[in-house]
Amino acid sequence: MQSIFMKNEIAKANVSWLAVMIMLFGLLLLAGHSNELLKQTVIGPGSSADLGMTADCRADELEEEQLSLEECQLMVSNVRIILSSSPQWYRSYQLTLSSLGVAATLFSLVIAFGLINRQSPALRLAILSTALLLIIDVAGFVAAVNTGPLLRAQYLWSLLLWICIHLCMLVAVIRFGQQGETDS
Amino acid sequence: MSETRNPAKPESENLPRLVVLLHWLLAASVFFLFISSWWMLSLPLPSEEFTYRELPFQLHKNIGITLFVAVITMTAMRVRSLLREASSSQGWLQRLAVADHILLYTLLMVCCLSGYLSSSYSGWTTTVWWLVDIPAWSAENDDLNILFSEVHLWSCWVLLGLLLLHIGAAIYHGIGNDDAIDKIFRLR
Repeated sequence: MQSIFMKNEIAKANVSWLAVMIMLFGLLLLAGHSNELLKQTVIGPGSSADLGMTADCRADELEEEQLSLEECQLMVSNVRIILSSSPQWYRSYQLTLSSLGVAATLFSLVIAFGLINRQSPALRLAILSTALLLIIDVAGFVAAVNTGPLLRAQYLWSLLLWICIHLCMLVAVIRFGQQGETDS
Repeated sequence: MSETRNPAKPESENLPRLVVLLHWLLAASVFFLFISSWWMLSLPLPSEEFTYRELPFQLHKNIGITLFVAVITMTAMRVRSLLREASSSQGWLQRLAVADHILLYTLLMVCCLSGYLSSSYSGWTTTVWWLVDIPAWSAENDDLNILFSEVHLWSCWVLLGLLLLHIGAAIYHGIGNDDAIDKIFRLR
């Protein structure tokens, strides 16, 4: 009797911990994908930086933003780096992938609620949602590999980190699912 | 999985569903505001030609104003239970938890208000969700703009520190499988 109670407590603790992790990383990822959507919406080909316009660095603005003149000029170069390092297909690909990322992340957040509210298919759906997030990370990684070196330097490291995080979570969800089946 | 609860753990009162939803809405908004603001401040300074900052800044202000309303609502709904917890709290961990919540709510309000005041003194207009014009607090004033920008910046850094403490506490409760996690996820 004591042993069954202990097993249930451990299983519940595992699920509870898992839900917290899914929420924490899910919220961070949601912010990341949403920001990527915003980035791709704002920085488009044909915009002023792409047309080679020089930075407008007024002294009062520099003081207000606590920037040097060089930093202000490099901000325009920063946009040019993104534009010149992106292949033609990259912007639409990123917009689609980030939209999918937002949807998949929202799905995983709903699953985290299901885990705590003890909805029975939640663990199986957690496997699905985490696998989906992992696939999106890999798709983003493969795309970034095929861009220029300046963009690769911006994206690859964080994408690799997300792949590792989602891989760890996927293994954990699968293992907890197996334990649940054995216990029942 | 069994629904049996550990009898050694005390049952705590459930949070209203609106508070649970507001908590997660706030969490998502705060994460987005931090990440997007780090990026948007690297965009070229605004001018007639360079309008890259327009959308991100408007969005930042819109979410900030919505967040302010959400924090006020949440504080109003939780103030009584927080005060009760503060007066009955035993042990440093419990006291730290109550202090963390009160400081979090206060700092969220300070961040939002200082952001709005800074924007107001900068001379830029604010239209909430591109629908409702918010009147400027005052005429353009560079000194006050810089002052409130500094308040906004530093209060946000302190908020980030407190958030990390809050996240650490959530993981602690998650591993301990206690009522705190159930409370903030429970939608029934």
